[in-house]
Amino acid sequence: MSAPDVREKRRWWRPELGLALLVLGLGVVVVLGTLDVSAAASRLGLGPRFFPTLVGGAMILIGLFYVADVLRGGRGDPEESEDIDPDAPADWRSVGLVSGVFLGFTALLNLVGWIAGAALLFFGLSVALGAEHKVRAALLGAALGVGTYLLFVKGLGVSLPAGGDLSGIVPSAD
Amino acid sequence: MESFRLLIDGFGGALTPVNLMYALIGVTLGTLVGVLPGIGPAMTVALLLPVTFTVPPTSAFIMFAGIYYGGMYGGSTTSILLNTPGESSSMITALEGNKMARRGRAAQALATAAIGSFVAGTIATGLLVVAAPAVVAFAISFGPEDYFALALLAFTAVSSVLSRSVVRGLASLGLGLTIGLIGIDQQTGQARLTFGVPQLLDGIDVVIVAVGLFAVGEALYVASRLRHTPPEVVPVGRAWLGRDDWRRSWRPWLRGTALGFPFGALPGGGAEIPTFLSYAAEKRLARGVAREEYGKGAIEGVAGPEAANNASAAGTLVPLLTLGLPTSATAAIMLAAFQQYGLQPGPQLFDHNPALVWSMIASLFIGNTMLLVLNLPLAPLWARVLRVPRPYLYAGIVLFAALGVYALNGTVVDLVVLYLLGLLGYAMRRFGLPVAPAVIGMILGPMAEIQLRRALAIGAGDPAVLVGSPTAVVLLALAAAALLTPVVRTVLGRRKLLRTSRED
Repeated sequence: MSAPDVREKRRWWRPELGLALLVLGLGVVVVLGTLDVSAAASRLGLGPRFFPTLVGGAMILIGLFYVADVLRGGRGDPEESEDIDPDAPADWRSVGLVSGVFLGFTALLNLVGWIAGAALLFFGLSVALGAEHKVRAALLGAALGVGTYLLFVKGLGVSLPAGGDLSGIVPSAD
Repeated sequence: MESFRLLIDGFGGALTPVNLMYALIGVTLGTLVGVLPGIGPAMTVALLLPVTFTVPPTSAFIMFAGIYYGGMYGGSTTSILLNTPGESSSMITALEGNKMARRGRAAQALATAAIGSFVAGTIATGLLVVAAPAVVAFAISFGPEDYFALALLAFTAVSSVLSRSVVRGLASLGLGLTIGLIGIDQQTGQARLTFGVPQLLDGIDVVIVAVGLFAVGEALYVASRLRHTPPEVVPVGRAWLGRDDWRRSWRPWLRGTALGFPFGALPGGGAEIPTFLSYAAEKRLARGVAREEYGKGAIEGVAGPEAANNASAAGTLVPLLTLGLPTSATAAIMLAAFQQYGLQPGPQLFDHNPALVWSMIASLFIGNTMLLVLNLPLAPLWARVLRVPRPYLYAGIVLFAALGVYALNGTVVDLVVLYLLGLLGYAMRRFGLPVAPAVIGMILGPMAEIQLRRALAIGAGDPAVLVGSPTAVVLLALAAAALLTPVVRTVLGRRKLLRTSRED
């Protein structure tokens, strides 16, 4: 895939190291992020900084062990599941598509409303995951959008966006 | 017997038409999500939290308990008919169960799993009735230092049992504890780790965390390596047992129950260990036909582990209800549900809300009976559910995840947070970090902090107060042991791995 010298140089780097460093980094963030928290500790026994410092310290320790474990060649077993092909190479295109569809749904939801938004989300995700009948996916999406709207908004009183919310562009009427 | 009388009252509360309906909804939903891959009881209860605001707590918990038990039944159907299990607790059932199914004995495998689950669930719920008041009587004298030690024990036990790598289990726990820290400190009103973002002042809702880690994380993980061949589901008719199968099943059912209940009640015990122990015990005890069949589909290897699985679910409710201590992801979400209603599980719950507690326990007996009826004749229906095309399944799961999270506060900010937590869930799956410790850490962490601060306030800041009671000392010692045992095991395992890799 890549030139041998590049592989040689990057052999210590594995994607799992990223997660291990995230754990370590979060520990640092927790400790530093709560430095500015102060309260009358004397009256209430322990202040609000004590426990975060404990958690942050533990995270740093765990993060160090985790990083060391990954560097020494340890690896976690990918979770098993019915629909997972453990031998398949990671399909980044699908992950990107799923992410794009979901974030697009997030951006459009208030504008197009729940029914259209949910229909598009379902259609987009099922196509991204390899649905073969696109028409069926679209019909199912529309049915789910309308169905969930009726069930949750009319039936259970949950509020979902009706659409046409141009707040930021047009001030709302009421 | 006092608890017997309370239980009868509980039946009175649970047998109303409305509550029977909630129980039926719960067990049906539970079986459905147990059968379906990619979605489990923990996430289902989390998704239902926002829509149960208007439901009275007794009905809500009857439904949640139904989902919990139903998920156990449904998981066995998946492992028998599809080989790869839906829930980790059904992993062992797949070993013999799927081989039975492939030999044309799917109906018997499903029947022994369902009837065994019923027998185990009923006996174990009976044990819960007996054990809960006893634990309450003991725990009534617990001080904050004991509760803090108990939380620590749950943290270390869950982290070390659920993962083959202790450091990964602890990393997951730490991620959950960190998420739990975000927001306003309950005692002093100080904002912590909010970085000036006003939406973070109330903390990140448990629904978003659970749904993000479970549903969105699973969808991304599946997207990254979807199996493109359609699932191979073994066809099945109505589930039934022949006379010979009854004879071979009843003893494993009882032995499985005896293993499952106590393990479920222990912090970090869960369902994985007792199902495995039951499988091993039945294998050792197998004689005659069973001995020959073991490894090729012996009914004992399904009956025992499935009974252990269900009994452990009932066992999990003992620490949850009597101590407020969750030992599985679903129990942790149920604890969050109690808090949503302003209730705190523990000895006081039995005092202040006996009607709620005993109606819920009574509903477990009712739900178990419903599940037996749902699972024996309707097995072909659940088998058909397994054939849902995967793109539609995961698209639907994400759609409901987005719905549940949006319904919380009606803001798209939560959807962005949901996606970010989904990425974290993806990474955790990809690199073998168990998700349950994160969920338990997030929900139990703030309670551990309160107990710790209360204990230290009583002791005027002297840390010796944390080991001031014998109970706390024992619990802390157990917590340390839970951490150290797998380390020893890892070292031994690594040696073994070295040997096998040399043989390659």
